[in-house]
Amino acid sequence: MLNQIAFYLFGSISIICGLGVVSASNPIYVVLWLLGALIAISGIFFSAGAELLGALQLMVYVVAIAVFYILIITAVPWRKLHKNEQHNRLIGVTVLPFIALLYVEAFIVGISGVSITKNKIIETITKNYGNAEVIGIKLFSTYFWAFELMSVLLLISMIGAILLGRKEEKTYD
Amino acid sequence: MSIVALGIIIAIKVVVILAIILGIGAYLTLVERKVAAHIQRRPGPMVVGWHGLLQPLADGIKLLTKEDILPSSANQVLYNLAIIMALVPASLVFAVVPFGPEIHVFGYDVKPILTDVNIGIIMAFAFGSLAVYGVALSGWASNSKYALIGALRKAGIIISYEVVITFAALGPIMLAKSLSTYDIVMAQIHQKVWYIFLQPISFVVFVFALLAETGRVPFDIQEAEAELVTGFTVEYGGMKFGLFPLVEWYVEVLSLSSILTVLYLGGWSPINIPFVGFVDPLFFLGPWSGFIWFIIKVTILFLLVLWLHWTLPRYRIDQITTIAWKVMLPLALFNILITAFIAPLLRG
Repeated sequence: MLNQIAFYLFGSISIICGLGVVSASNPIYVVLWLLGALIAISGIFFSAGAELLGALQLMVYVVAIAVFYILIITAVPWRKLHKNEQHNRLIGVTVLPFIALLYVEAFIVGISGVSITKNKIIETITKNYGNAEVIGIKLFSTYFWAFELMSVLLLISMIGAILLGRKEEKTYD
Repeated sequence: MSIVALGIIIAIKVVVILAIILGIGAYLTLVERKVAAHIQRRPGPMVVGWHGLLQPLADGIKLLTKEDILPSSANQVLYNLAIIMALVPASLVFAVVPFGPEIHVFGYDVKPILTDVNIGIIMAFAFGSLAVYGVALSGWASNSKYALIGALRKAGIIISYEVVITFAALGPIMLAKSLSTYDIVMAQIHQKVWYIFLQPISFVVFVFALLAETGRVPFDIQEAEAELVTGFTVEYGGMKFGLFPLVEWYVEVLSLSSILTVLYLGGWSPINIPFVGFVDPLFFLGPWSGFIWFIIKVTILFLLVLWLHWTLPRYRIDQITTIAWKVMLPLALFNILITAFIAPLLRG
């Protein structure tokens, strides 16, 4: 009962914040609405008992990623913000069918009742251990290959970023 | 335990924690001024009350009765929102801090921790770094170049040191085999060792990151009175100005010191002799000695921070980020490597 109330509360907050993201004109407000939506989503994770995912959502998306938006936007001068230029309409219209498709997919998955594993293996593991153990077991068994590939990909992108950002001469001293 | 009793217990915990933190936070201003004064060989505030004991009240009245100035070109909504966004996450960290052992009150077993979630330590870091929004927003909404520069510096520091602090904390987490703050303390008690003895490198890295995240010297470049006239708080006045240092210098220092105590100093456990046991000179207090030990440890850490603050010069911003990425992060990673070999040797 409490879980359901929490779910509907956080769900409605995230929808309202999502509407704010697409309707606000000031970029700073957009980021703040996005922040609200991400926090509400982590609340949904918490109410579903996936504490680790919720905390990682807070740490990775809310803090690490959204803060970069703030950093970039705070560097934009105030004068430019007062112009209400909209030049993303074309992109918005093109993306719309794909988003609709996503909703159809979610609906089908929800109706057909897909579960991740047979015989409720995950549920028993969650009860006996914790969240972190479940994710660890899944990552290092079923999705091991994908996990390692992702690590290599991230390593490559990190080296690329360092190479691009490197300067031959020191700017200070 | 019925749901009503559970609700009442949680409400009491929330009220007690908030009252203690905000009350102590206000009084720590006096402690800081006294310590700073004695480091500089002067008496400090002596006029209001005995040895200036009522000074925080006088300061509070002064700040509250000041004229509320709002910069005419500032974004008013964000200007006020920034204060809330600075205060709330900093006090939320205390939700996962265990202040003492389980106690038995009025027929209930009560853990002195608001929520014993099984990933408490991640929550602490997530809330701790949410504070960056208050700073970034206050800097941007003030519409002042000093505030903006200060906010950008602070955001840069938090992003760098958030990575460092998380990797440093991985050492104790690996040794305790748990992410719950309560279980980490219990693991230290069962293994009969404070993790500071096994994790000296990561302890030092964590202390550095604590100073950087809370904007204490030598990492107070975002405030830098001489060049930025207190950085992102420059456009705030009255109590609104008072809240930022209160949050940054006291509430955040207290919360991170509590996390440090939990991770490295065995939380509420008494003095430790590694792998032998615990010596408790406060045994006569019974189950309450744990709380006293926790308070003593956090106090010592706070005084350490003050000592560094009032004796060191400050780093340049490029030096701060360089230290984070080129010294602290490699050290923390090296520490994780060593810990991976040590961890299986510990029993329990």
